[in-house]
Amino acid sequence: MKNVTHSFVFLAHWPSAGSFGLNTDILATNLINLTVVVGVLIFFGKGVLKDLLDNRKQRILSTIRNSEELRRGTFEQLEKARIRLQKVELEADEYRMNGYSEIEREKENLINATSISLEQLEKSKNETLYFEKQRAMNQVRQRVFQQAVQGALGTLNSCLNTELHFRTIRANIGILGSMEWKR
Amino acid sequence: MNIIPCSIKTLKGLYDISGVEVGQHFYWQIGGFQIHAQVLITSWVVITILLGSVLIAVRNPQTIPTDGQNFFEYILEFIRDLSKTQIGEEYGPWVPFIGTMFLFIFVSNWSGALLPWKIIELPHGELAAPTNDINTTVALALLTSAAYFYAGLSKKGLSYFEKYIKPTPILLPINILEDFTKPLSLSFRLFGNILADELVVVVLVSLVPLVVPIPVMFLGLFTSGIQALIFATLAAAYIGESMEGHH
Repeated sequence: MKNVTHSFVFLAHWPSAGSFGLNTDILATNLINLTVVVGVLIFFGKGVLKDLLDNRKQRILSTIRNSEELRRGTFEQLEKARIRLQKVELEADEYRMNGYSEIEREKENLINATSISLEQLEKSKNETLYFEKQRAMNQVRQRVFQQAVQGALGTLNSCLNTELHFRTIRANIGILGSMEWKR
Repeated sequence: MNIIPCSIKTLKGLYDISGVEVGQHFYWQIGGFQIHAQVLITSWVVITILLGSVLIAVRNPQTIPTDGQNFFEYILEFIRDLSKTQIGEEYGPWVPFIGTMFLFIFVSNWSGALLPWKIIELPHGELAAPTNDINTTVALALLTSAAYFYAGLSKKGLSYFEKYIKPTPILLPINILEDFTKPLSLSFRLFGNILADELVVVVLVSLVPLVVPIPVMFLGLFTSGIQALIFATLAAAYIGESMEGHH
């Protein structure tokens, strides 16, 4: 009884002491209950928390793996596309070169053909001009001849009387006779 | 002659051991203010726990998170989800605020329920959860008020105050009253719940020291967590509400 009283007195003096201190009374500080609560909490909470965190970790891992795979696939596709691009560029270059030479050849051919036909045209033009000139000259000649013949005929018709007629005939006979003589 | 003072002392001792110290505080004087030192001390402990664990967790960040980092990332994800559901699309800048509220309140409540504070004795009062004191919860609630005012004003400018006369100007007094009831309800809810939890535990412990308080302590843990969640959710909801546009 005295011990208990003393402990009470001792406890009662604590707050009025006006200083910090340690309360060593296990029951008053509720230590046992706290230990039990914390223990139960750790015992049950650990499993739940572990599951939760493991799930999260697995999810993150799978996400990372998926995205890495996607990335790899994309890189492969990119590489393929790049190779195809190179091939197509090469082909395009080839085609371009071929096309250029083809065009050059075509151009030359065309120029040659055109110059040949140009020459022919020139020739035929000259010929036509020549023929045209010839024809014009012939026409002029014919006209002059006709006029001369008509003039002569007119002169003959107008001036030809009997005496002249006879003289002419005689002269002609003389000419013819001389020609006969000569022969 | 000697027995009477001794018995008086015994009674006083009995009174002291069974007495539940409500409303007793350990005061510090700082610049003319009386400060509840036990709240400050426990707050510092809580802050130290939070900062220390965060420092340990992020000391060596990995791409594939290991235990501590994984746990903290999970918490961060939880807080982000919470703020996203409550605030909406522009939740980004408010995650730190909501997260601070939630983590501080949660760790405070659980420290009150799990740490053996009573081992350390103060000249007056006793150590308990920081949210056990009305000053802490009022401070947190006022911070929330300031936060949602800031959110609304920075988002909509002065047209934020149009919400007071919506849907009709008749509701103006009620809408103004709401700005006072929000921090009031936030702080009183948290304070009341935590104080009640701890009081019930203390009273039960003083009556039956073993086993019986354990279920109540678990209940206290549960409500503590719920209260932290409620506080954070409501803060986020208020911020979201003041930011949502009426178009």
